[in-house]
This record gives sequence, C-alpha cells and structure tokens, in this order.
Amino acid sequence: MNRELTAHYLIRVGEIGLKGNNRRMFEQQLKENIKRRLKGLEARVTGGRGRFFLELFSGNPAVAEEVLASTFGIVAFARVRVSDKDMEAIAATAAELLQKEVRAAASGTLSFKINAKRTDKSFLLNSYQIAVELGDRLTREIPGLTVDVKTPDIPLQVEVRDKVYIWGPQSTGPGGLPVGCAGKGILLLSGGIDSPVAGWMMAKRGLKLDAVYFHAYPYTSDEAKEKVVQLARILAPWNGGMNLFVVPFTKTQLKIKENVPKEAVTLIMRAGMMQVAHMAAEERGAGALVSGEALSQVASQTAGSMRFTGSVTDYPVFRPLIGMDKEEIIRTAERIRTYETSILPYEDCCTIFSPKHPLTSPNFSKIQGIYRQAGLEKELTEAYEKSERIYIPPYPETE
Amino acid sequence: MISTYLDWAATAPPDPEALDYGHTVALEYFGNPSSLHSYGKKAAELLAESRKRIAELLNCRPEQIYFTSGGSESNSIVFSQLLLGVRKGSILIGATEHPSVWETARACAELGYPVHEAKPEKDGRISPDAALQAFSSETELVSIMLLNNETGIVQDVKSIAAALRDARGGKKPPHIHTDAVQALGKEKIDLEDLRVDSASFSGHKIGAPRGIGILYLRRPLQGLFKGGGQEKGVRPGTENLPGITVLARVMEKRLPLIEEHREQARRQKARLMEGLSEIPGVLFIPEQAAGRDSHISPFILKCSFPPVPGEVLQRILSDRGYAVSTGSACSSSADRGRKKEKINRVLKVLGVSPQAAESSIRISLGPATRDEEIEAFVETATREIGTIKEQLG
Repeated sequence: MNRELTAHYLIRVGEIGLKGNNRRMFEQQLKENIKRRLKGLEARVTGGRGRFFLELFSGNPAVAEEVLASTFGIVAFARVRVSDKDMEAIAATAAELLQKEVRAAASGTLSFKINAKRTDKSFLLNSYQIAVELGDRLTREIPGLTVDVKTPDIPLQVEVRDKVYIWGPQSTGPGGLPVGCAGKGILLLSGGIDSPVAGWMMAKRGLKLDAVYFHAYPYTSDEAKEKVVQLARILAPWNGGMNLFVVPFTKTQLKIKENVPKEAVTLIMRAGMMQVAHMAAEERGAGALVSGEALSQVASQTAGSMRFTGSVTDYPVFRPLIGMDKEEIIRTAERIRTYETSILPYEDCCTIFSPKHPLTSPNFSKIQGIYRQAGLEKELTEAYEKSERIYIPPYPETE
Repeated sequence: MISTYLDWAATAPPDPEALDYGHTVALEYFGNPSSLHSYGKKAAELLAESRKRIAELLNCRPEQIYFTSGGSESNSIVFSQLLLGVRKGSILIGATEHPSVWETARACAELGYPVHEAKPEKDGRISPDAALQAFSSETELVSIMLLNNETGIVQDVKSIAAALRDARGGKKPPHIHTDAVQALGKEKIDLEDLRVDSASFSGHKIGAPRGIGILYLRRPLQGLFKGGGQEKGVRPGTENLPGITVLARVMEKRLPLIEEHREQARRQKARLMEGLSEIPGVLFIPEQAAGRDSHISPFILKCSFPPVPGEVLQRILSDRGYAVSTGSACSSSADRGRKKEKINRVLKVLGVSPQAAESSIRISLGPATRDEEIEAFVETATREIGTIKEQLG
C-alpha cells in the first residue's frame, strides 16, 4: 500500500532510555499508548533505543501534536521533514522550514546551526561537508539568517539515512514514564482540586488509573457527580482512557452518622472509602491506591489520621501531594486544566456529615475499634457492587 | 409519575392558547412595523393595538409603554441614565432587591455613583421613614421592588414614592423606579395610582414566553443603545411582535381575574401553612407570614425546615414529582483553603439565621395550581422531611 504521509515526527524519550533489561517493555508500552490515543487516525510508531518516529497518514497534525505533548514518557518531539538524498532537495526542504521560523521571529533575523549526521556512508558528502555546504546555501538564500555555532536560536538537525530527515526546534513533552508500565492504581477522585492532580502525578510515573467517586445522593447533587465525570474526562487522555466507578455512598454515610461519635465521622467515612477502593483494587488487579491528601491540610490529613485511614488496606497508598503547598497544587491543576472544573460550586452538602470539631490525632486502637463496631462491611460491599461504571476513552467521544 | 409545578415565581407555564395566537401572528404579521407597505402597516397596527391594550390594563398612556426583552433589560435602561450622564448623583435601592437591580447598582457603585440601601423592618417592609433615612439631597435614582421574588413581601411603593417625592418640597424630585416583574398578575397594578417614574415587567412570569418585557416610563429616557429608533429610541431593534401580542393576550386574560386568583392562592397558601406547620421546627419567612397578611403575596411561601438542607429537600421533592426552588445553596465548602460561603443576601437582611436560610425552600403558586396538588404536596413534604430528619438523627 502506498500511503501518503501527512506528518512525520521524531520522538525523544527520557528515563525509558535508562532502563536496563526492561527497556523493551517500556518502549512497547509507549508505542501502544501513542497508538491508542490516535485511534481513528492512520498512524505508525516505529523506533527504539531512545528515539521513536510517528508517521501520520491521515488526520490533522495538530491532533497528533496535542497527543505527543500529553503522552507520558515523551520528553520532546519535533515535526520532521523528509527529503530525497541530494543537496538540492535537502537545501530546498531546509529553506522552507527556516523561512517559516525567520518570518515568525519578531526581529526578522535568526541565527542557526546545522548538526549533520550521516549513517548512509554512500552519501557523497560527510557530516562536516554537509553542514558547510548547506549552511552556505541557506545563508545566501534567506535574508536575516546567520550562522552561530555556539548559541544558535535554532539548531537544525539533518540526518542522512534511507532518506534525509530534517527538523528544527523541538516541542517539549510531559516527561515521566509511559502509563501502564507501573501497573494499575485506584484513584480516590473527589470533585476537589487535589485528587485530580494526585492522579495526574501518579499517571506520570507510569501508573494506569481507575477512579472511584463516592456519591451520596440526595445529599450530594447530580451536578457534583457530573463535575467528577468531567474531571475524569480531562484526566482520561493522560491516562490512556479511564474507568470511573461511581459508588453510591448514602447508606454508608447514614449508618456512620447513626453509629459513630460525631467527631469521628469524617475519619470513619474516609476509612470506608479506602476500603471500597481496596475492593476495586482487588477486582481490577491494581497494585496501589492513590489519594490527594496533603499533610495538615484538613483534620483527616494528619499523620495520625492517615495512619488509621491507611490501616484498612494493605495496598500501598500513594499520596503524591503530601509535601505540597496548596498554591503548588493549584498551579499544577491549572496546568493540566482541571482547576476550572474543580472550583465549580457544586459542593457536597457535607456540613451534615462533617463534624464541627473533627478528630485530628485519633487514638489508633480506639478509632480502629470504632470502625469495627460501626460494622460497615455489608454497606461497603453493597456500595461497591452497585457502583455505576463509566468508561471514558482517551480521545474525544464526539469524534 | 405525578408532576406538580410549584415554582411559578421562577417562571410561569406558558399559556397554550396565547402561544398559538403568537404563532399565527408570527406567520401572518411578519412585516416589519417600520415598513411602509401593507405588510408593515398591518404589523404596525397590531403593535399599536397591543400597546394600547396593555396600557389600559396597567392604567397608563400607550406612549408610556416600551417593549423590551424583559425585566433585566428594563431595569438596566433606567440605571443606564446615570451612566449615560443624563443624571448625576447617588442611588437609593431597597436592601432586598432582585439581582437585576442589586448587581446593576453595584456596577454603578464601582463607577463612582454612591449607592445607599433602605433597610426593611422585621416584617420585611421598607417604611417610608426608612427610605427617607437613606435618602439625601444627592439622591437621583430610587429603585424599590414591588414584590420580592424570594419572600413574597410586597412593598408599599406608593407611600415610599410619595414620601420621597415630597422630601425636597416637591423640587427636583428623584427618578423613582420600581421593579414590578414579580408583581405582574399577583398584585393589582395601577400605574397612575402608584405614581412612579418607571416600572419593569416581564412576560414569562405570567405565561408569555421568555424574551418579552415592558418598561413603563412616565417620561421618555435615553436608550441604552442606538439603532433604528424603534420604541422612540428608548429600545431600538425591530419589535418582537409575536412576543408583544402574546403578552398582551395573557395580560388581558389574567389581569381581570386577579382577585379570583388571589383568593384561590390565599386559600391554598393558608392550607399549605396549616399543613406544614405540623412539621416540628418549621419556620415561615418572614415570621409574620400568616396567610392573610396584606403585605405578603398569597402566591409565594418561603419556609424553612432546619436541619434539612433546602437543596437536599428540593432534590428529593423533585424526584417525587414536585418542583419547588431554593434561594440558598448549601454553604458548606468542599474545598479547604478557599472557603466559599454562599450567604443568601435577602434572607440575611431579614435577620434569618444562616441555618434557617440554608434549610429554606420557596413554594410559589399560580392560577392553575389545584387544591389536590397542595394536599398531596403537604403529605409528601411532611413524609420526606420526616425521613430525612430521621436519617440525620
């Protein structure tokens, strides 16, 4: 099949390149992740050992660039021009690329440097000669363009292989590791600012997330649930798609309110949520739970409180925000565009379920006793079984 | 599933017959009233006739009626007189005004026009004396709403207007405006008798569609924007003839029956209050809101059932087929660090506690509300409130 190439990208990875025997697994995961997100487009991902290529045969390059900019594992990428193997063609392609950049520069002038590489030794000129010859042609052809080998505005890469590949400045990717290479995790997702950021941070370390959200209708509104679905939609592309479990939690909350001393209600509720997340982890084959807690932010986020809430599960509980300030968290939320959704005003009517003076340093064995006595097993299992499961694909659903 | 609409103060169900008529008008009188051919003339005649009928119903002159897109626009045209530099000075508003007046006044305040608020008494009424206290030699614009959308409290705009007009010995009287949007169809309105300088009305509160409203002006004002000079330049833009004719039609149908409708609403509201007062801890807002109080609309009942959050109760009632509304959203804050306290401004002015405000709902009635619906509502609300209270311990 003779397919017309619409765009061609070079992809650079960071940490994956450092991996030892597992490298192939990381690389395979990255390729799959890119392909999954480009569903519906004709694309091929090739390469390995720190350098990958994406060839796009259909669709809008802007879509592909958006995907590359938000696929974990990618450190940088650049749109590559491909030219035939003669200096005439190489110069023409490079000139086209540079002319665009010069025009875009505010001053109308630009310095550049050529890094040439020749793997096809049958090509007439060697790397040095390619650079000199091409530099000469380009500076003569394009007004405002100068050579600066020390601090160029633009490094121009020219590689002579089966064909000649030419690219200019690179765009940055998000870094991190390909989602999935660290296994699966269960994210406790609320409608707030923190938990989406925590999920994003763990996905960045290669954890593929499913999310659980606790819905206490009619005490929490359907708008609050819609807001969480929306947050999952924002996270889904980063995560390569996402399963969201909406757990009906009213019965459990009411039972807690009935059976638990007021000041312990919040902690017991958090522990119950953790236990449901544990059930999800078992079913989904996850290796960890993820929560958006930051030390000392609220009563349930003290060391003593977390010792207890974490004690109902033997999975590790990842809390990537633990040492972050609110401002730092908000900055990340803004960057990943969850912030605007997180601050929508559909809050829980949690005044009913949150005590005025919650415990901040619970007695460990005492609070464990309260939890056992509350006897939530049946409610928690039922809540998990009755969860509404929503799958959100990694690409826009409307297309 | 039963379906009972008890949120008439938010918007009234449309009048199907009047809408049909509007549909016919849209098809048969599509000419631009400004055009000089027969299509235009035909439309212009209908426009003039509608204006005349509306003026008669409100007891004013046809040339004092200006058609707008609704209450907010009507209010804005009046306030814009200050911004346009036609009038200078300060603004006096009631402390419980609707956001379309209150927010507009705030915007004026930011632009440098001092805004003063007249505070109501405990019963929610602004006395002429209280208005005079907030009044100064600088006051240029006064805006007091006729009927409060949340509480149903009716202000004695006529007495307030008279007191303020006479305050400077009849010299340089301020412009006195009333937002009468909620009053249309609920209170008898006689503009000649009310003696205000301007008043706002909105069609959708009485069965006409959204997008048609009235601004009554005793004397013309400057328009907020410029255009083809329609509505004497006060509100340029090709006239919404279907909307205007439907509005005239529903007003013609509803206004003559107002006493009948009020009597029905009084009976139903009394029954509501009788039924709901069986619920322990119920609060009626304002507290003096007995069914037959002359200064509270029989069509609106604001009540509170602490500790049940109004928002939760509204959701449950909606699931059971009853549409009511809450003025106040839950004031809790899910996100620490950025506490968002949503306090109901109107209820706070009336001295209602934050918890009572948070637990409040508004039930509003209309001419089509049936006695059986009220009975069924009382029964359902009593049961559901009991259940929630039990759940919450």
